[in-house]
Amino acid sequence: MQKSSKLLKLITFSLLGTVSFLVMFLNFPLPFLPAFLKIDFSDVPALIAALIFSPVAGVIVELIKNILHLLLGGGEPVGVTANLIAGILFVVPVALIYHRFKGVKSIVSGLVASTIIMTIAMGVLNYYFLLPAYSLMFGIEEYNTAKFAIVTGGVIPFNIVKGIIVGLLFIPLFTKLRPWMERKQASFS
Amino acid sequence: MSNSFIIGQYVPGDSFIHRLDPRTKIAIIFTFVIVVFLANSVASYGLLTAFSIGSALLTRIKLSYIAKGLTPVWFLIVFTFILHLIVTKDGEVLFQIASYPIYSGAIIQGAAISLRFFLLILVTSLLTLTTTPIEITDAIETLLGPLKKIKFPVHELALMMSISLRFIPTLMQETEKISKAQASRGVDFKTGPIRDRVQAVVPLLVPLFVSAFKRAEELAMAMEARGYQGGEGRTKLRELKIEGRDLFVISLFLLIIIGLVMTRA
Repeated sequence: MQKSSKLLKLITFSLLGTVSFLVMFLNFPLPFLPAFLKIDFSDVPALIAALIFSPVAGVIVELIKNILHLLLGGGEPVGVTANLIAGILFVVPVALIYHRFKGVKSIVSGLVASTIIMTIAMGVLNYYFLLPAYSLMFGIEEYNTAKFAIVTGGVIPFNIVKGIIVGLLFIPLFTKLRPWMERKQASFS
Repeated sequence: MSNSFIIGQYVPGDSFIHRLDPRTKIAIIFTFVIVVFLANSVASYGLLTAFSIGSALLTRIKLSYIAKGLTPVWFLIVFTFILHLIVTKDGEVLFQIASYPIYSGAIIQGAAISLRFFLLILVTSLLTLTTTPIEITDAIETLLGPLKKIKFPVHELALMMSISLRFIPTLMQETEKISKAQASRGVDFKTGPIRDRVQAVVPLLVPLFVSAFKRAEELAMAMEARGYQGGEGRTKLRELKIEGRDLFVISLFLLIIIGLVMTRA
């Protein structure tokens, strides 16, 4: 029995990874931000995995999504790395808080904490690593020289808005799915 | 959704590229992604372009089909080019658009970077166009094999990747079916304020999750019924084998890298 639940878990992570990859194409740019910063809901399947199983499951789903994105020609290495790190930083705190306290309230506080962590970390990462890497890759100096403006005017507001929008979607989704998720959780443990 | 998204769909065929060992293809593409950044002169870009277009032609897949698969990235390529026109101020002013000066350096650099990006995406897409998901994951599993020594779950990762790749078309159809079903009930995904569009995604995701879990259970049961018990001692129907053509392609690619280093400005 031990073995079969392990296989079932692996398969479930894979399918959630695929769902996450597909959901990534349901994106829309925000009206007041540059078009390459797009909001998508691909973190939602990872959140589901992280809440039903464990934070590690969320990380695996994020990993699968980004490998698929890279393999299937839609992504370039820097953007994919950025998405992976942002996704992990968004999913893991929610899962940690939820598994500790349970309940809808813990999800809300988890989402708030995640958004703050993701925003700060992505701001720092963009400033010191991602924007210089983009600048090198696309040969556009301005990504590097104007990085302070890009981080404060683009990256930080983007991540806050992304956290809020994904949260606004996830809370009603979670309340609807909660009984089902708890059943799944019971069947896996 | 399906029209804008045919990337990564395997096209059956028997071309030279199709028959290459998937490990050769992955290794070459991985190296290509790195060496593409070495190009900085006309000759070096020419060499890379010739290699990429040559490989694309060798697949005997219609070029229009390949180009269609690149649709999602055209936008990024054009965007990069335009950004270059705006921000780069090298060389002399060629002409003005609405009193905004366009520099010669901007056009050259913009074109070079867009070309680099295009080649990068073209070559990576050739992998998934000519290689079945099973071959890709088999190759990843053998290439990552050494990591097993440090207890890295190579087999599990390969299994997960092959299942994910296999289920992309299936789950895509499912998504389309659900969104049509919900649209017929009056859900509007395309218009309206952001808040409404966000809410519209909920009735799409709920059935999608439920069905993904159901499929996972069915697949797990089917695999167990056929005696799957993990990577240990598993045998394969098709063994990967490096052949003459692989060695030929690898040496050709090494020559190209040497050529690249020599033609760099």
